[in-house]
Amino acid sequence: MADGGHYYNEHDDRTAPQQYRNRKGRGGNKGQSYDRSRRDRRGGHPGGPGPRSRLDDVDGDVTMSDNSQDSSSQNRYNPYVIRPFRKGDRRFDRRQGKGANRGGGGNNFRGGDRGGGSSGVGKNRSGWYKVTIPHGRKYDKKWILSAIQNICSVTFTPVQFHVDHNRAHFYVDDSAAANALHKCSHKITDTDGYKVEVHVNPSNPPSFLLADLKPEHLEHLKQCMAKRFDGSQQALDLNNIRTDPDLVSQNIEVILNRKSNMEAVIKIIQENIPELSSLNLSNNRIHKLDELTELVTKVPHLKTLNLSHNELKSDRELDKVKGLKLVELWLNRNPLCDFFKDQAAYISAVRQRFPRLLKLDGHDLPPPIGFDVETPTTIPPCKGSCFGSDEIKALILRFLQQYYSIYDSGDRQPLLDAYHDGASLSLTTPYSTQNPSRSSLGEYYKDTRNLKRIKDSTMRFRLLKHTRLNVVAFLNELPKTQHDIASFTVDVNTYTNTLLSFTVSGVFKEVVVDGKSRESTMAFSRVFITVPAGGSGLCIVNDQLFIRMATTEEIRRAFVAPAPTPSSSPVPTLTAQQQEMLTAFSVESGMNLEWSQKCLQDNEWDFNTAAQVFTQLKTEGKIPDVAFIK
Amino acid sequence: MASTLDFRTHVDQSCRYSEEFVNIYYDCMDKKRRNLTRLYLDKATLVWNGNAVSGQDALGEFFEALPSSEFQVQTLDCQPVHEQATQGQTTLLVVTGGTVKFEGNKPRFFNQNFLLTAQASPNNDQPVWKIASDCFRFQDWNS
Repeated sequence: MADGGHYYNEHDDRTAPQQYRNRKGRGGNKGQSYDRSRRDRRGGHPGGPGPRSRLDDVDGDVTMSDNSQDSSSQNRYNPYVIRPFRKGDRRFDRRQGKGANRGGGGNNFRGGDRGGGSSGVGKNRSGWYKVTIPHGRKYDKKWILSAIQNICSVTFTPVQFHVDHNRAHFYVDDSAAANALHKCSHKITDTDGYKVEVHVNPSNPPSFLLADLKPEHLEHLKQCMAKRFDGSQQALDLNNIRTDPDLVSQNIEVILNRKSNMEAVIKIIQENIPELSSLNLSNNRIHKLDELTELVTKVPHLKTLNLSHNELKSDRELDKVKGLKLVELWLNRNPLCDFFKDQAAYISAVRQRFPRLLKLDGHDLPPPIGFDVETPTTIPPCKGSCFGSDEIKALILRFLQQYYSIYDSGDRQPLLDAYHDGASLSLTTPYSTQNPSRSSLGEYYKDTRNLKRIKDSTMRFRLLKHTRLNVVAFLNELPKTQHDIASFTVDVNTYTNTLLSFTVSGVFKEVVVDGKSRESTMAFSRVFITVPAGGSGLCIVNDQLFIRMATTEEIRRAFVAPAPTPSSSPVPTLTAQQQEMLTAFSVESGMNLEWSQKCLQDNEWDFNTAAQVFTQLKTEGKIPDVAFIK
Repeated sequence: MASTLDFRTHVDQSCRYSEEFVNIYYDCMDKKRRNLTRLYLDKATLVWNGNAVSGQDALGEFFEALPSSEFQVQTLDCQPVHEQATQGQTTLLVVTGGTVKFEGNKPRFFNQNFLLTAQASPNNDQPVWKIASDCFRFQDWNS
């Protein structure tokens, strides 16, 4: 019901141009120009349905999609108005004093630079123009585009062609084309005898081009979220996050109706506070809940969700998060609330998604009556490395650094030193008949020792490499590799006086030699059983290596982090003196290195001042629990 | 001289034991979860997607809270663990991979590895295998 509803503002074409980062290399080579340096870094995965597919789609054929994400909101006349600060909504805010100056992020005001060019199409700094064809829905996309192209004096490249309501829209990023298109209005006659109108307006860049947050922005966002996190309640308050002074002062726009921004927020939650129980997303102009689907598995203990004062238009959006075991939900001041004939229908529609809900928009609901056959469906949240102790962590990390620096060096012969005389090694790859990329695993496949498939005992014996020389000779024959040590996750299985057994997983890529093999990224999981050797060294007695193709997500993340170790502590770019001070401060304050460093940096590395500030903030209860998680 | 032959025998036996173990373990896990902790040593440790659980009682609680499961083991490998690491106690490394569907969750790929040690059984003449350590991870846990 709601989707069909009309909003008077919704598709107003009076866009409010905002200044976005100017794209470089506009013009000529359009197909390439969408590539941003960030994406280039991932490099060479030609053809694969990889993470670039969304862009590739646009490069080649323009997507014909009704629901191209975010497009409606980006083009809505919706300048950043100062919303009055609504105290009542800020249920999770512990910092009333600070709240008052939020909402007034005046820095966010931009634009207003719609020039009145003589050509009829204004100029704008974003460089993008939105072309609108009223009643465009009735035309075939190919027909209308080629009809316009035929009479247009400038060749144009339509980007993100889409239809909403009766209109068809696309974007061009070339002012000459925009002006030429403007002159095409009323020149084409359609089969019904109507003249086709073509409207051209300066606009924001199409939604898919909006940049991801940069790594340094993510760090600010993370700290801003830490500030807004209440550890005692496991509550995170992201109300009106885009006006947070800490972000605004850094010129960082966190706009939660952008897919990439919401994903970044969810990733930070998942990695730092997966036990979150209450999340406030009010006042963020959210109109879709697609990204929040992740919360169902990643934040399984979420009980309270505040989505009030957003732009949700249909109760069907709630289906995307209906796996959440919500007890309390806020939806007031969303358009969807107006579509129910009465309160009972509204409650019923919400309860259908969240049967355990006890509170809706602050009102108590009658408790649900269930059956006493509760079966658990939540699984414990997944966590990173499990070392057990810092001492073992240091030992293993040092070992892995050494081991993989040789393993990846091109000559694995020196690994002889890492293995025990009687060491064993075997390798497994997943077997799949329909996996077309099996050829990439082909090098390993012939040596795979999968007892589910190989029943012959001689074969089983032959595939188990035994004794140091055989093991290293075998490793030497495997393809040349480069491991992404930053991707490693380590679990310590057993630690005794005579044995240290641990599991390492991560990604690596095969190094192209003589252009023979293509570069493919793979994932591995490897069990090392080691015995102590020479002081603090480790000597491998058993080694079991599992190799599979990496998932697209793994490929996307691979080899991007510069951190040389799988440690979460900051990479030291500090002077020796600062490093020393940092360690001392961390010990005295009890905070982890990251937060200790921040505190010291904020106080210009004056230990005493930092200590005073810390003590004061701690007494006031203003330091979040995450600061103390080491 | 005989050591190579001995190793061969070890390997053959370990393959048989690991096949038997995998059948029993995942059957217990899926259908008789209550019995599962009996397969573990008293002081066994489990690292489950980074969550460390140690000791029979904690393991019992952990498995009880885990949703019911359907495991499909697609890969299995095993190695006799070198005696220098185990002070002569017969030990096997068993490594599995496959898919698991926990109730209310999407099917996931997993890797799991166990250290099995042969233990004297109080109510049986023959020794029994017990899990000394168990390490489980979803393959795509962090995506």
